Amino acid sequence: MQTGGFKELSEQVFSKDLCSTCGACVGICPYFKVHTGKVIPVFNCDLEKGRCYAQCPKTGIDFEKLSQNYFSQPYQENVLGTYIKIVTSKAGKNVNGGLFQNGGTVSALISFALENGTIEGAVLTDVEGLIPVPKIVENAGDVLKCASTKYAAAHTTSVVNEAAMQGRQNLGVVGTACQLTGVAQIRANPLEKTDFTDPVSFTIGLFCTWALDTRKILEYLSGKLDPATITGMDVPPPPAEVFVVKTNNGQTELPLSEVRTLIPNGCSVCPDLTAEWADLSVGAFEGKSEWNTLIIRTDKGEELVNQAVEAGFLILDEFPAESLEHLTLGAGNKKKRALKIMNQEVT
Amino acid sequence: MKSIAVPKSDRRYLVMGNEAFARGALEAGVAVVAGYPGTPSSEIVESLAKVSKERNLYVEWSTNEKVAMEVAAAGSFAKLRSLCVLKQNGVNVASDFFLHLAGSGTRGGMVVLTCEDPGALSSANEGDSRHFSSMLEIPLLEPGNFQEAKDITTWGFELSEALKTPVMIRSVTRLSHASGNITFGDLPAIDHKAEFKHDGLRLDPDTGPVISMPVNYKHSLQQQKIQKAIEMFETSPFNTYSGPENPELMIITSSVCNLYSKEAIKALGLQDRVGILKLGTTWPLPPKLIEKHLRMTDRVLIVEEVLPFIEEDVKILAFELAEQIGIKKIHGKRDGHIPTTGEINPDIVIGALCGIMKMDYIGLTPEYTEKANAHVSLGSPARETTFCAGCPHRASFWHISQALKMDAKEGFVCGDIGCYSMAALPTGFNTLKTIHAMGSGTGVASGFGKLGQFGMDQPVFAVCGDSTFYHAVLPGLVNAVHHKSNITLVVLDNGGTAMTGFQPHPGTEKDARGGEAQQLNIESICKSIGATVRVVDPFDFEETQKTIFELIQMKGGVKVLVMRQICALSPEKKATRWFDMKVDESKCIGEDCGCNRFCTRIFRCPGLVWDWENKVSRIDDAICVGCGVCTAVCPVGAIESKEVT
Repeated sequence: MQTGGFKELSEQVFSKDLCSTCGACVGICPYFKVHTGKVIPVFNCDLEKGRCYAQCPKTGIDFEKLSQNYFSQPYQENVLGTYIKIVTSKAGKNVNGGLFQNGGTVSALISFALENGTIEGAVLTDVEGLIPVPKIVENAGDVLKCASTKYAAAHTTSVVNEAAMQGRQNLGVVGTACQLTGVAQIRANPLEKTDFTDPVSFTIGLFCTWALDTRKILEYLSGKLDPATITGMDVPPPPAEVFVVKTNNGQTELPLSEVRTLIPNGCSVCPDLTAEWADLSVGAFEGKSEWNTLIIRTDKGEELVNQAVEAGFLILDEFPAESLEHLTLGAGNKKKRALKIMNQEVT
Repeated sequence: MKSIAVPKSDRRYLVMGNEAFARGALEAGVAVVAGYPGTPSSEIVESLAKVSKERNLYVEWSTNEKVAMEVAAAGSFAKLRSLCVLKQNGVNVASDFFLHLAGSGTRGGMVVLTCEDPGALSSANEGDSRHFSSMLEIPLLEPGNFQEAKDITTWGFELSEALKTPVMIRSVTRLSHASGNITFGDLPAIDHKAEFKHDGLRLDPDTGPVISMPVNYKHSLQQQKIQKAIEMFETSPFNTYSGPENPELMIITSSVCNLYSKEAIKALGLQDRVGILKLGTTWPLPPKLIEKHLRMTDRVLIVEEVLPFIEEDVKILAFELAEQIGIKKIHGKRDGHIPTTGEINPDIVIGALCGIMKMDYIGLTPEYTEKANAHVSLGSPARETTFCAGCPHRASFWHISQALKMDAKEGFVCGDIGCYSMAALPTGFNTLKTIHAMGSGTGVASGFGKLGQFGMDQPVFAVCGDSTFYHAVLPGLVNAVHHKSNITLVVLDNGGTAMTGFQPHPGTEKDARGGEAQQLNIESICKSIGATVRVVDPFDFEETQKTIFELIQMKGGVKVLVMRQICALSPEKKATRWFDMKVDESKCIGEDCGCNRFCTRIFRCPGLVWDWENKVSRIDDAICVGCGVCTAVCPVGAIESKEVT
């Protein structure tokens, strides 16, 4: 596996505009900072080996090492990643209603884990206006404030770095593929620091086809609507080809073709639709918007799901075979697209 | 020396060149003195300000050099002797008024004394303002040693009074800032009486209005004065020759190059072969004197600093005289014997003499040089150009540079002249991208701020100091406000003209003589002309960063951010330490990932040192001034500050 530091990260990721703002390099040192949804290398560091490079999801991933560390087994080249089973799910009656994107599975699981003490805090992503604000939530009541899809690329992984620096433990982390790949690499302690303790208890991945560059979307929306009034966003299933922005004054439909230009380049080389490096992965369930697709990847994840069902926080149902076909096709297509672009990058 | 106003005696005094100039003005009975601080000129006004009460002088640090020259001129118009002191940059600032002053003429003797900086030891240029004398047609004097620095100044006032035109005296760093032994003359009476007569005949130089019109008449009058100056210069005791009757080579020189030439001739043992014509009156050149000396030799070497000013005039005269005196070989800058940039020194003159006289000279043997270099590299610590320990500019540029990088829109900062010019270097995180004249950062930014029309959307910042704000920023700022230029001006207010030695300015409560002055307020001025104004303390990290981002976000128009924190060296601060600083070595992670010597490698305050042996940072107690800023810089909180009670 290649090693590198600030210089290599700058050359291989920032100069090529491949950063997807996951925050894996932020919160470790004073050299990288985040401002209005953008990760910025502020000063030059001349170390040959740094966590910034080792933790970045865009510098190359040692799949075998991560798989052993995460799943205690060799890496399985499955387009959906390593998993035990896939079900459909939605929030149970014991979860207070919130503004869920779909079935509310993530909010239900996190609320449950906080209430029963499985975790001391959850790393979630809130927004101020449109600017993502990742944070550690410690009360189940605050979880719902962070519910629903953000679309703006967020530096959520930086919070895990900060938590590790502070020696925190037992955190649940919710994130997209790039964010959780970063988290998985943080947890592997790549520089073998002796004082490192893993701050994370479990992770929940969010299906993600792409995110939006915060600064670009702010600029795009300026003049169209007031970002402060935004309550949610959604991409309705094809053939709608629109991007829906919900505000206090109703909703605005924007052409998806325009919105796609706001996707960071880093998303184009992401091969991971379902967030493979997670204990559980959650996404929409096509056709039934009040349900989620739930991929159970680890025993720990399965145990949490079972406990949540028992406690009335989560309801499960079977995942139809044809949906699995759809999901596999979608995930496979994302991988193919990413590989094609990556190969072009290399040549 | 303590006071330059001691009575005449037989004693020889060791004085700085600038004190000799000041003494010369006192002996001439100067009454009005005005200037703007600038190295290497500042000590002249300062030493006159010190004796202003006992010598009944009016002395001021003016807002800028043009105003200083106007203030001094008023003294002259009222029949007083007056002195305007500036450096080469200042001559340019004052030049518009200077041109008109040369046209209108003066009454009381008026000397414009410029102390220049060949080699730019303390400047952003090495401008040679001798050319102003020929361009504006006013006499130019250049003293060739310390005694002459005093004597030529005294005579300059007499010359000005005799010709009714301002007289320019030019010094350079090595004369102004070096010291020499001189004897003092008498000090005149101090019962100065000022009266401005203006009701006489329109063209009467003593009683009429003082104006440069009608231009043709006044200009021809001015040229008659120059003819009279030439006559006086032909016999001036400040032009001297020393050497053989018919030298193989004659050096024509002026100012400190006179001393360098003497040293070079001595070093090479050429006393019997090379002579020196030392000129004290360098414009207009006295043609008969030059002819007399050209006749003595066939070869001439002209030694002067920066541009070939004397060289060109001598060549014109030699050409005009060629029929009578024969063709002379004239060496100097145009044939490459003397460089046209940087300071001259005895070695350069030795090199030129060796080349012309076909001699070899080894000043230092290679063995000696090698030995000396080895000792130098062993014994002397490496020093970089840096802001002082505890300098508020370091904190200010820390914030500005980070904010612009985090904003990531290729924003940049236009700067000008002050200690903060060093922000173009690593000590200021390479923040400044343009540096020109005083106030130019704001004017240039005003222009950049209007380039949106051509697609430029980079954030534009300017910085200036508090003294510079009053000196030359105001017109640029007014221009930016009027044209709705989209810029942010950061005023780095450290409470005085710090770079040149804390001279007062319109924002301070005292004037040059220590008397009470009307104190102006930067933020009120900026608000009154319609700028959005914020004031922060750059040592308050959180508030400062928040405010900079707030201003960057604000669309359109001029924003002014006053970053106010007293200079670490300010006499007002009285070397007070606010905090005792200490590095907790158990917390310092040094070279590890997560820090990589952030405080000593990036922040680089000289008060922080890296302990190479133990791989931790330390506070150098001898240098640290206890500002406490680095506490906020350390990524792991290893730098502790304890408030001094």
